Amino acid sequence: MREWNRLGLNKAERMERGAALAQGKVVPPARIGELLAQVIESGDRVCIEGNNQKQADFLASALAGLDPAVVNDLHIVQSVLALPSHLDVFETGVASRLDFSFSGQQSARLARLLSAGQLRIGAIHTYLELFGRYFTDLTPRVSLVCAAAADAQGNLYTGGNTEDTPVIVEATAFRRGIVIAQVNEIVDHVPRVDIPGDWVDFVVQSPRPHYIEPLFTRDPAQISEIQVLMAMMAIKGIYAEYGVKRLNHGIGFDTAAIELLLPTYAESLGLRGKIATHWALNPHPALIPAIEAGFVESVHSFGSELGMEEYIRARPDVFFTGPDGSMRSNRALSQTAGLYACDMFIGSTLQIDLQGNSSTATLGRVSGFGGAPNMGSDARGRRHGTETWLRAGREAGTGTMPRGRKLVVQMVETFREHMAPAFVEKLDAWELAETAGLDLPPVMIYGDDVTHILTEEGIANLLLCQNEQEREQAIRGVAGYTPVGLARDKAMVENLRDRGVIRRPADLGVDPRDATRDLLAARSMKDLVHASGGLYDPPARFRSW
Amino acid sequence: MSSWSEATARQRIAGLLDAGSFIEFLPPERRAVSPHLRELGQPAAFDDGVAVGRGTLDGQTVLIAAQEGAFMGGAVGEVHGAKITGLLERARTERPAAVLLLLESGGVRLHEANAGLIAVSEIMRAVLALRAAGVPVIVLNGGRYGVFGGMGITTCLCDTLIMSEEARLGLSGPEVIETTMGVEEFDAADRALVWRVTGGKNRTILGEATLVADSIDAFRAALVAAMQPKPLTLETLEAEHATLGNRLDRFGDMEDAVDIWAAMGIDNPQRLPLLDTDAFLQAVKGAGA
Repeated sequence: MREWNRLGLNKAERMERGAALAQGKVVPPARIGELLAQVIESGDRVCIEGNNQKQADFLASALAGLDPAVVNDLHIVQSVLALPSHLDVFETGVASRLDFSFSGQQSARLARLLSAGQLRIGAIHTYLELFGRYFTDLTPRVSLVCAAAADAQGNLYTGGNTEDTPVIVEATAFRRGIVIAQVNEIVDHVPRVDIPGDWVDFVVQSPRPHYIEPLFTRDPAQISEIQVLMAMMAIKGIYAEYGVKRLNHGIGFDTAAIELLLPTYAESLGLRGKIATHWALNPHPALIPAIEAGFVESVHSFGSELGMEEYIRARPDVFFTGPDGSMRSNRALSQTAGLYACDMFIGSTLQIDLQGNSSTATLGRVSGFGGAPNMGSDARGRRHGTETWLRAGREAGTGTMPRGRKLVVQMVETFREHMAPAFVEKLDAWELAETAGLDLPPVMIYGDDVTHILTEEGIANLLLCQNEQEREQAIRGVAGYTPVGLARDKAMVENLRDRGVIRRPADLGVDPRDATRDLLAARSMKDLVHASGGLYDPPARFRSW
Repeated sequence: MSSWSEATARQRIAGLLDAGSFIEFLPPERRAVSPHLRELGQPAAFDDGVAVGRGTLDGQTVLIAAQEGAFMGGAVGEVHGAKITGLLERARTERPAAVLLLLESGGVRLHEANAGLIAVSEIMRAVLALRAAGVPVIVLNGGRYGVFGGMGITTCLCDTLIMSEEARLGLSGPEVIETTMGVEEFDAADRALVWRVTGGKNRTILGEATLVADSIDAFRAALVAAMQPKPLTLETLEAEHATLGNRLDRFGDMEDAVDIWAAMGIDNPQRLPLLDTDAFLQAVKGAGA
C-alpha cells in the first residue's frame, strides 16, 4: 500500500530532531546553526527570504556557516540575491543550484561563480513566475523568512515590509515544509498578525535588526533639466493623451521627475484627477508632493521604504495600512496589480535595440530583473476595458476582435553615463547569455510589448507603426546623435513625424526652454520633508542637515 | 532661477546686481585659461572658473567676483587667483562701496600645486590690504560645494559673511578629515553630521555668519543691509582672539555641533536642522558663543 503522507512523516522526523534545540518554537540565537543542520537535509530546496528591501540576513549567514560535509547540494529558490552570504553558500558547497529573479549588488560575483562552475542556474525568473513555481514544482522544503516581531506562538508581524513573506510561507507551510523566521524582537503580543503562528515552526531573535535597503529614494537635487524636459513630454504626450489613471513607475530619476512635476506642470494643464490617480508603487518619497496636492487616490506597495513609516501611517486613505496603522505591503499581489490592473508601465533601461527590446544586462554581470518584466508586459488575458487600454488597442489595430493594449513606455536619454549610447544594434544580453550559458538572452522588456519610446528627442509611438521597417525607423528617429540615430532614413523619419508616429517636443507644444528645475515640486530632500509636514524621515545618507 | 545654490556664477551676479549693470573684466572671450591644466591634458574653462567685474547694487558701485563650482569645484588655480587678486587691488584705487566675493571653492587647485598655493596667499594679502584701506569685503557663500581650504581662511579674513544653511564653511573638507584622522574623528558619509558642523546654521549660531534662505533675493536683501566696513584695529583683533579662545575653552572637547547648541542653552537643539530660516533665527535668538 502506498504511503500518502511521506512529506508529513519526513517533516515530523525533522521537527523531532529540531525540537531539542528550541523552547517551544523559540530557538536561542546561539543554536541557530545546529537547528539548521538538524532540520535541513542534503538536496533540499531552500528559500532564503531575500527581498528587494528586507533581508533574512542572520539566517542567511547561519546557512552559509553550515558544514558542507553534513549539508550539501541544496537548491536555493529565492527572489533577490542581495547579500554576500547569499552567494557564500555556493562557494562553500552547501548549495549547488539556484533559481532567482534579481541579483543587484551580487551580479558580478554571481557571474564569476557561474563561470567557475560552482553553481547551476535553473532560470532567471520574473517575480510572478518564481512565486508561481513555489506553488508548482519549486516548492521550498525549508524556508528562512524575516519579520519585525514574533510572539511565543510564532505569530509574525512584518511591519511595512511584508514583501515576499506571505507567498513564501504559504507555499512552504501547506506542503509540510518547515518555516523558520528571524525576528528583530520577541514580544508578548504582536501589533498585528501578518502570518498566523501555526504556519511557522521556529522563531529566532536576530542579534541585529534585519537589514533594509532604501532602494526607492531619489534625491531631487540630482534631477537634471533634460529629465525635467522628458517628464514634461511624458505628461503631455502620454499621460494626458491617453488619460492614464492606473499605473506603475520604475525606479530612477526619470520617473521621479514625473512624480515631482505632477503638482506643478500637470496641475497647470488641468490634469489633477484625470491622470495618475491609482498606483502600484513602492512608497517613493518623490510622490509626497503629488499626494499632498491631491493627485493620488491610492497606492498599493510591493514593499515599504525606510523613512516613510510615519508619513504612511498618517495617510491611511492613500496607502494600504493595517489596524495598527503601519503599512501592509505584498510583492506578489502588487505585481499582480501591476501586470493586470495597471494601464501603463513607464521606466528606464540601459540598452534598447532596433526591435525595441530593452535590457539592463551588461557583460560580466548576471543581474536578473526586478519588477519590470511583469509590469512592463501586455497581459494577454486581460479583458476589462478602460479608455486608456482600449485606445491603445485601437491604435495597435489588430484584427476584427476589439482588444486593448497596455501602455509600456521606455524612457531613456539617448546617451547614458560615460557617453554610452542607449540605442544599440545588438544588446549585450546576447553575449552575456552565451558566456553565462543561459537559455535566453536576459531581455527585461520584449520589443513587442513596448508601445512608446521616449527620449529628449521625442516620443516614438510604436503602436502606430505598420511594419518592422517603420518600427525600426521610429526608434532610430528618437535615437538622436547615437550611431543608431545617425543611421536613420531621413525621409522615412520625416514621414513618420508627419503621421504623428514620432512627436518632437515642439509637436507636443513643449518648449525645452521651459524645462527648468524650478518646475520640480521639490528640489531637495529637505523640500520633501517639508512637503510631508515633517513626517518623512530620510536616512542619514540622504540628508544635508 | 531663484535658488542661489542651483544658479551658475554668472546667474548669481545677474540676479544680485542692478539689471544690466555688470561689466566683466577678462571675460571668457579673452580666453584667460590655465596654462597648467593644458600641460596635464585636463579640460580648461575660458574664464578659469571665476567671473570678475564691476556693477551697481542699489545704485552703488561694487566690484564683484563669482567662483563657478561646476568647474573643478571652484578650485583656485594661478589665473583664477590672479583675477581675484587683481580685482581686490583695483578696489584700492577705485574705492567702490564694497567688494563682493561670491565664493564656492574646495580651495587650492591641487593640479597647480605651488602656483595655486601662492595665488591663494596673494588673495589673502590683498583682502587685508583692502580692509586696511577701509573698503568692505563681503563674502556670499551659498553654493553646493561650500567654501573650504584656503578660501575658507580667506572668508574669515573678510568683513562680513552671508551664508545659506545649504552652504558649508570649513578649513579641511569632511573627506580630508576622515582620510587623515580616521572615520572615528569625522564620518564624511554622515551628511547630517557634516552639515550640522560645517553648515550655515552652525556658523550663524557661532556668530560667524548672517543666515539667509537659499534664494538670490534673500542674499541681495541681506547684502544691502551689510555694506559697512568693520573696523580692523589692534583692539578689534585682540577682542576677536579673546572670543575665539573662550569658544575653544567652552566647546573644544565637544563631538558634535548639537552638543554646542545644548551647552549654549538652546532649547531642544535637535530640532534646529529642520527649521526653515525664519523659524531657526527665532529659535536661536539670544544664544551666544
